[in-house]
Amino acid sequence: MKKKVMPFVVLLTFAGSLHSQIINKEPLSPRITGYNIDVKLDTAAKTVSGTMKAFWVNTSSGTVPDIQLHMYMNAFRSRNSTLYKESGGSPGKKDLDLGWINISSFTDGNGTDLMPLIHYIHPDDANSADSTVLQVILPKPARPGDTVFINVDFETKLPSRIRRTGFSGEYFFVAQWFPKFGVYEPSGMRQRSQSGWNCHQFHVNSEFYANHSVYDVKITLPERYVVGSGGMLINESVADSNLKTLTLRAEDIVDFAWTAWPGYKVFTDKWEHVSITLLLPEARVKQVDRQFTAVKNALEYLTKNVGPFPWPHLTFVDPPTIGSGASGMEYTTLFTSMSADRMPEWMHMGEMVTVHEFGHAYFMGILASNEFEEPWMDEGINSFWEARIMDHYYGENSGLMDYRYLKIPDKAYSRLTYTKSDNRQVVSNNEYSWNYPHGTYGMMSYNKAATWLYSLMGVIGEKTTNEVFREYYRKWAFRHPSGKDFVNVVNEVVTKTYGDKFGADMNWFFDETLYGTGICDYRVSNLINKKLPSEKKMQENDSLSKGLPLNDSLYKAVVQMERLGEVMLPVDVLVHFKNGDEILENWDGKARYKDFTYLGHGKIEWVKIDPEYKNRMDVNFINNSRTEDPDRVLIRRFADKLIFLMQLYISAITL
Amino acid sequence: MKIFKSLSSGALRSLRSWKGVLIIWFFSLILISVFVIPMKGTMRTGFGSSMITERLRDGLDIEVISDLGPYLASLASYFFSGFFFVIFLGILLNTFFAGGLFQSIKGSKDIISVPCFFRASARYFWYFLGLYFMIIFMIIFFAFLIVGLPVGLTLQSGTPGPMTFIIGIIAVLVFSMAEVIFLLVADYARAWLVSSEKPAFFKALGFGFSETFGHFASSFPMMLILMVIQLLFGALVILVIRSWTPVTGGGVFLLFITTQILFYIKTLLKAWRFGSVTSLKETNKNIVPPNPPGGAL
Ligand SMILES: [Zn+2]
Repeated sequence: MKKKVMPFVVLLTFAGSLHSQIINKEPLSPRITGYNIDVKLDTAAKTVSGTMKAFWVNTSSGTVPDIQLHMYMNAFRSRNSTLYKESGGSPGKKDLDLGWINISSFTDGNGTDLMPLIHYIHPDDANSADSTVLQVILPKPARPGDTVFINVDFETKLPSRIRRTGFSGEYFFVAQWFPKFGVYEPSGMRQRSQSGWNCHQFHVNSEFYANHSVYDVKITLPERYVVGSGGMLINESVADSNLKTLTLRAEDIVDFAWTAWPGYKVFTDKWEHVSITLLLPEARVKQVDRQFTAVKNALEYLTKNVGPFPWPHLTFVDPPTIGSGASGMEYTTLFTSMSADRMPEWMHMGEMVTVHEFGHAYFMGILASNEFEEPWMDEGINSFWEARIMDHYYGENSGLMDYRYLKIPDKAYSRLTYTKSDNRQVVSNNEYSWNYPHGTYGMMSYNKAATWLYSLMGVIGEKTTNEVFREYYRKWAFRHPSGKDFVNVVNEVVTKTYGDKFGADMNWFFDETLYGTGICDYRVSNLINKKLPSEKKMQENDSLSKGLPLNDSLYKAVVQMERLGEVMLPVDVLVHFKNGDEILENWDGKARYKDFTYLGHGKIEWVKIDPEYKNRMDVNFINNSRTEDPDRVLIRRFADKLIFLMQLYISAITL
Repeated sequence: MKIFKSLSSGALRSLRSWKGVLIIWFFSLILISVFVIPMKGTMRTGFGSSMITERLRDGLDIEVISDLGPYLASLASYFFSGFFFVIFLGILLNTFFAGGLFQSIKGSKDIISVPCFFRASARYFWYFLGLYFMIIFMIIFFAFLIVGLPVGLTLQSGTPGPMTFIIGIIAVLVFSMAEVIFLLVADYARAWLVSSEKPAFFKALGFGFSETFGHFASSFPMMLILMVIQLLFGALVILVIRSWTPVTGGGVFLLFITTQILFYIKTLLKAWRFGSVTSLKETNKNIVPPNPPGGAL
C-alpha cells in the first residue's frame, strides 16, 4: 500500500505545480499534457539522462486504451530509421555518431511497472526498423476526464551529425530529446471523424505536432557552459564538482529545447513586455543590433496585425558554424537564426531567418497546427508573414537584398521558387509533409502557399487579410486548427466584410490554390484600334456609333485577353487611351478569352492586367501587359553599355 | 627630362596614328556588336510589347528577369558560350592591329596609309601573338607567386585577419610594379620588332628585357605615369557610364556615341603608351647603357 501511496503523493504535488501559474497569471491553454524533467548533461559521453514525470488528460468522451509517445531521438539510431531511409544518408558509423533514447524504467502513477506493456509502432510507413513512436497499453484504459501519470527514467544520446538536434565538439543543441506525448484528437477536432492518437514518426521532411504544455526542467551540467532555452530561468544553483543546476519553467509552449556551449556570448534587450535574450558566437557580436532589430520588427508587426505575443520571455540563438545544423528552427519561446561571421549589411539573410523563425511562435506555436499533416499552415503562412515583415521594414523592393542596382524583395523569392519550379504541378498544397514527391516539400509548403496567400490578399485587400488573421488568432490561439478551420475563418471574415461580392464563400479560391494543382497565367493577346468609316457612311450604316460624337478620329478599340492557366482568379484590368483616359475594369478571370470593346475614347495606348501585380500566383508577369509603343530604351541602353564594357575589357587584357 | 620628352613625343605620335586607332575602334565595335545584337533581339522578343520593362528603370528586377523564362535561359547559354570566344577573337584582333599601330608611330614623321597599316599588322602578327602569350603567361605566373601564394598561405594558417589584409595589399602593390615591368618588356620588344630589318622572336624578347632594365630609371617612371593616367581614365569612364541611365531614345543614342568616343580615346591613350616607349627606345639607341646586362645583345 505504502509503496503505492508514496508516488501518488509525489505526483499530486507535481500535478499541483503544473497547474499553478508562474509565468502568466492565467493558463493560456488547457492543461492536457505536462512535463517535469530532471536531467544531467554528460559532456563527454554526449548524453542527457535523468527522470521525467509527465501526465496526459483524456479530454475525449471515449475510453482510451493506450498512450503514444514520440521517441524522436531513435531516428538517429541507424540508417534504417525512417528519417535516414528518406534522406538517403547515414547518422554515422562510430558509436559516438549515433543518437538514441533508452528507457530504463517506466511506471504509471500507481507505481505499476509498464515496461512489459511498451512497444514501438510505425503508423506512417510500416518500417519495423523505425523506433520513433512508442505505444504503451495502459493497464486500465483511461476513461473520459482521467489523468494518466507516467514516470520515466531515460537516457538520450545526442547524434554527432546535427539535424536540428545533436552535438559538435563542445556544442550541444538538445531538441526532440525526451519521451513526448503525441496528440490525442477527439472526433471533430481537426475534422476527424474518429477519435485517436496523432503521433507520427520522425521524417526527414516534417516538423512536429504537440499539445501546449507546461514544462518544469532541471538541467545539471558543467559550470562553464552557457545555456539558452525556451524556458524562464527560475533558479541557478551550484552542484558538486564544477557543476551547476538550472531550473527552468515554460508555460503553454508545444516543445521544449535547449542549447549549451561554452562559447556563447549573451546579450539582452527588451520589447514592451518581452525580455529578449540572444546567444551567439564571439565572431558575430557585430550583428547583435541587426538581430535584435529584426526580432523586434517581427514582434511589432505580428502583434499589430495578428495578435499579442503572450510570453514575457524569448530567447534566440545564432549557432556557431560548428552547430549550423541546428540553425533555422523554432521552439516558440526559443528559436535559432542562421547567419555567417561576415554578413554584409545589404544582405538581409540573418534578419530573414530571425523574422521567419520568430514568426513560428505564432504559426504553430500559438496557432498549433499539425506540421506533419498540413505543413503549409506553419511554413506557408509563416513565409507569407516573413515576406511581408521583411519587405515592410527593409524596403518593398529590397527585403532580402539591397545592393546598388540589384535588389531582391522577399516576396519575389517565394513567388519565383514556386513559379519557376518544373514540379510546380505534380502535387497539390494539401499533402502530408513526407508525401511530397520529387523533392517538392519545401517549394510547395513554403513558397507556393506563401504565393497564393499573397494572391488572396490581392483579392480581398490587405486590411481584410489582417482581419482574417486577427480573427484566426482570436478563435484558434492555443488550440489546434486544421486547414479547413483556417478556410472557415477566411469565409466568415470575407462575407462579413464584402457580403457576397466574391460568392457565397471563398472556397473557390482554396479549391484553385490550396487543393488544386493548376497554374495561373493571364495574358493580353492583342490590342486593336480600328478606325471607323467616315462620318457620312457611319450615319447611314453603323448602328454601333449612334449617338456618339462624330469626328474623323472615331475608333473602335478592343482589348483581347486570354486565360492560359487553369486557375481562375478575379483581376483588375487597366486600359489607358492615347487621349489620357483610363478605365479600370474588373474581370472575373473565368473565361478562356475575354474582350473589352470601347468607343469614343480614341485609340488604346496600353493595357495592363493586374496593374499592381497583386496576383502573385500568375506565373508570367511579362505577358500581363501590352502597349502600342513598347519601350526599347532599356534594352538598347543595356546593349550599349555591354558593348562598351567588353571593348574596354578586351583592350585592357591585350597589353 | 628624357621622360617628358618621350611622353610628349609619344603623344604626338599617337595623334599621328589616328587612322589606325580608328580602324581598331571600328573592328572592335563590329566584332562585339555581332555578339551583342542577337542578345538584344532575344530580349526584344522576350519582352515583346509588354509594359513590364518599366519595372527595370531603377535597376535589375529579379522577377521581371526571371519571367523571361526560356528567353532568359537562351540568353544565358548564348552569353556564356559566346563570351569567351568573342574575347579570344578580340585578343587576336587587337594583337593583329598592334602591329600596324607600332608601325605607324615609329620613326618617320609621315602618317602611314591604311594599306600600309594592314600590311604591317599582318607582317608582325605571329611575333606579336607569341609575345602576347609569353608575357601573359609570365604575368599569370607572377600573380600566383606574388599574390596567390602569400595570401593563400596566411589564409591557410588561420582565420583571415588584418594580417591577411596587409599582406594582400602589399602583394598587390608588388604585383602592380611587376606588371609595369612586363608591359615595358612587351612594348620595347614590339618596338624593336617593327624597327628591325630581320625581326626575330627571342631577340625581341631579349631586347625587351635588356632595354627595360638597361634604362630602368627612365623607362619605369614613364610607364608608371602612363599606367596611372590610363587607370584613372578607365575608373572615371566606368564611374560615369555606370551612373548614366538615359531613359529616352535620344539619350541612349548620346550614350552610345559618348561611349564609342571614349573608347576611341582609350585606344589613343594606348597608342600614346606605344609611342612614348618607341620614342624612348629611339632616344636610347644612341646612348650606351651604363651596365649592359649579361651581354644579352
Ligand atoms: Zn519555417
